[in-house]
Amino acid sequence: MTRTPVPVAATEAEPPVVATGAVGVSGLTWRPYGRRDPILSDLGLALPPGQRVLLVGPSGSGKSTLLRALAGVLEVAESGELAGSVTIDGEAPHTRPGAVGLVLQEPGSGVVAATIGRDVAFGLENTGVPRAAMPARVTAALGAVGLTMPEDTPTHALSGGEQQRLALAGALALEPTLLLLDEPTAMLDPGNAAAVRTCVGEVVAARRLTTVVVEHRLGPWVDFADRMVVLGRDGRVVADGAPEVVLAERGAELVDQGIWVPGFPAPEPASLPPGLFGPGTLGANEVAVDAADVTVARSVRLVSGGTRTTLAVDGQWLQARAGQSLALVGPSGSGKSTLLLALAGLLPVDDGVVRVHPTLARHGERHPAEWDTLDLARTVAWVPQWSSSTIVAGTVLDEVMATSRAVGLVEAEAEGRAHALLDLLGLRHLEQADPRHLSGGEQRRLAMAAAVAHQPALLLADEATVGQDRLTWAAVMGVVEALRDAGSAVVLTTHDEAVEARCDRVVTLERPVQPPAPPTPRRPLVARCGPLSLLAASAAAIPAGVLSPRWTATLVVVAVQVLLGALALVSPGDGPQPRGRLRGVVTRLVPGVIGALSVAWSSWLLGGRDLEVAAGAGLRVLAIVLPSAVLISHIDADALGDHLAQRLRLPARPVVATAAALQRVHTFGDVWTEIARARRVRGLGASRRSPRTVLAELGALTMGMLVRSLQAAATLAVAMDARGFSTAYRRTWWAPAPWRVADSVLVVGSLLPLGVALLARAVL
Amino acid sequence: MEDGAIGKKEHMSTKLAPAASRGTSVRASRPLMGWRTVDLLTVAFLGAAFGIAYWGWDIGYQGPTTAISQGFPPLAGLLVGPWFIAGVVGGLVIRRPGAALLCEVIAALVSMLPGTQWGFGTLLAGIFQGVGAEIAFAILGYGFFGLGAAVLAGVLSAPIEIVYEWFAYYADWSFGWKLAYLAITMVSGAVLAGGLGWLLTRALARAGALNALPPGQEVRERHSV
Repeated sequence: MTRTPVPVAATEAEPPVVATGAVGVSGLTWRPYGRRDPILSDLGLALPPGQRVLLVGPSGSGKSTLLRALAGVLEVAESGELAGSVTIDGEAPHTRPGAVGLVLQEPGSGVVAATIGRDVAFGLENTGVPRAAMPARVTAALGAVGLTMPEDTPTHALSGGEQQRLALAGALALEPTLLLLDEPTAMLDPGNAAAVRTCVGEVVAARRLTTVVVEHRLGPWVDFADRMVVLGRDGRVVADGAPEVVLAERGAELVDQGIWVPGFPAPEPASLPPGLFGPGTLGANEVAVDAADVTVARSVRLVSGGTRTTLAVDGQWLQARAGQSLALVGPSGSGKSTLLLALAGLLPVDDGVVRVHPTLARHGERHPAEWDTLDLARTVAWVPQWSSSTIVAGTVLDEVMATSRAVGLVEAEAEGRAHALLDLLGLRHLEQADPRHLSGGEQRRLAMAAAVAHQPALLLADEATVGQDRLTWAAVMGVVEALRDAGSAVVLTTHDEAVEARCDRVVTLERPVQPPAPPTPRRPLVARCGPLSLLAASAAAIPAGVLSPRWTATLVVVAVQVLLGALALVSPGDGPQPRGRLRGVVTRLVPGVIGALSVAWSSWLLGGRDLEVAAGAGLRVLAIVLPSAVLISHIDADALGDHLAQRLRLPARPVVATAAALQRVHTFGDVWTEIARARRVRGLGASRRSPRTVLAELGALTMGMLVRSLQAAATLAVAMDARGFSTAYRRTWWAPAPWRVADSVLVVGSLLPLGVALLARAVL
Repeated sequence: MEDGAIGKKEHMSTKLAPAASRGTSVRASRPLMGWRTVDLLTVAFLGAAFGIAYWGWDIGYQGPTTAISQGFPPLAGLLVGPWFIAGVVGGLVIRRPGAALLCEVIAALVSMLPGTQWGFGTLLAGIFQGVGAEIAFAILGYGFFGLGAAVLAGVLSAPIEIVYEWFAYYADWSFGWKLAYLAITMVSGAVLAGGLGWLLTRALARAGALNALPPGQEVRERHSV
């Protein structure tokens, strides 16, 4: 039933191109260890060059797995039994690094560098393209996906849709013949999703790439594809042909399997057993929570020590009423998630007020942000976008029961409700499973069950239906509507039109108008130095401290350091004065001063209570630490990688991996915050009254942060290997690692205190 | 078929060598120095996460240390062990030469960047502690990764670091105090880095976060029996 592709005529301007990108799959079987049944079994598929395939199937049918097999990265982050063969133009997928381009579902999950230009160049570096040849190819790839901002734009400043286009550019830079897209628009708002689809369509047409797209929602992709392959639940091909033919012949069957087929209306939400939820606390249509003129600012700390403030929510009004559902829509960046957090009392507001109905007040307090964890859990439920990091229990059933137990509900009643909810959401058979082993879609449904099981008066859910097929979508919406019908107020942020259509009211948020960015301040002298001289100068302080003989000499060493430090922070030139330089240094010095005092104290204790001995020991510690407090914060992760590999000739791959991890460090803090919020709203947050809960919280947060960072590492490994990193032993580098005059000056300057110490040794 | 085959049942069925028998550990795939991308990134991300935890401990340990070392300052060594955990866990998770050292050094680097009471000494300490843990895994031939190996790595993380501290911070202490400080720190390393690191590795494997790595395979093998 395979349709032969229309032969592509070469344009007059170009020489005739040999069509490439023929894909052959035969007998492909994959069983990850720990699973009884294979995900893919004996799968065969042939794609002629230039074909555009839409790969569909119910959740768990192995679509993403097949894409990873086509990219040759199946065993990068998983181990299992693999048999059969995959060929691209007759060769194994990784014969030429970059021949297969892969774009993953989660925006930003494949980002390796701090700036967009450097990120696109990553594959070129891995394949040893000379530096001089990189800029043209990077510019071309960025142009092809319509990213026209400067190439030094920070990658974290991009929207989700822009990050997906960046990933596409990173793949295109390697001139792939086969392009694989794993639900590239599933996590995007409609505007961004359309932009990504347009971009894919143009790129694929211009380069005649063989393309395989996996998507849950077929509608927007049907026109793009010229073939549709349907996988069954057992990982075999069950339908294959022209999209319109497959949809006409098998559309109803696909709908029954849960696939979102265009032309079929959204399913009816499933119904829960009547009486599952008791009568609500508030009368119908009473305002459960009221946000009046709420403004939330977000501050980003800058390397210079200052901060840049942007508005996440600007003067927003919102009322959520009992027995009503409210859809919060708007483009990404319009502050939907932030507003939800403010309503939940999980994020302080900078202006305006969030108040609950007087009946819901706890101890007379109407601001949920002021409540303790148990009061908050009784009244408010919050389902975060990222449900995997907010798991609090060891089994699925305990996860659902956690809040009911924390707030002291009757165990038997709560358990009955938990069973019914799990049943409806298709998780009943997993009751005793470890929730961390569930798929992403299952975890999202579990998070919903866990949020509503104790019947909170207010449900706030962030993108609750992402990644759900028709069947599970109906279940999730059924739970939401059952809670609403029992008299709770429901607020859902969503990009999903079907959700919007089910809600009683819709509020659209606009992106807040941002205050103009302040002009770039002047840079201090120290910012002109590279990472190696910064490290060397910090290191030179150690012998200076250790070798200086007496407290008087050490005091002179410290004085010289203070002078040099002040000089390093001078910021000549035009433009506004940089702010917070001194404050930054002092803040970083606080632990050092405490350390110095504690060493001084222990030396005083031992050294016959001699003040001179104590002063010497304390000043020595200060001398060791002081230069680092000025210098080390100016080290840039990417530059450090460049210098370690190119100047010190350290092995390239470990250095790049380290730089990529340093790049992500700032996201760990976000994970930490999100887990802490989830625990607080679930009634498990730390309480100042109980040290035990503080310890439990610290343990849970550390573990959650580790698990999430390891998952991020595994995903990034797939993205990096798809861009040739596994064989990047002889790498080239996008940026040089220059040693400048400033570096030499810094190193010489840092030797001055050491000279003082040595001189004092000779003299005293 | 020959060139294009990405998998043949005979030799592609597993990337990780199976555990030979009871009591031995699953080793990393051969060659031992053949670091896969996921190995490198796992070490880097683990190190970075521990680095943040170290930074927190840098601040949090100050109060308790002052309290317990009131009468006898070398007792401060009791709370030094947590800083060895990255090396122990890095070695236990990756099981390749250099993993313990790299993980500890990255953790030290990350904890140094926001500013600590030791400045550049933080990075030096990372190298000293990491080399110590690495020596432990090397002594065991990168073949044993049980609780005993974890404890040994925790213990051996201490000596180089502590000798450095004698010169950098405790030059005025008597030799007896210095030796006591070393011994106490080794005990702390055994428990708070070795024991705790072993438990943590097991917990991470059970959470499904180490599926591509030997501890993940050990969990699966135990469950499939």
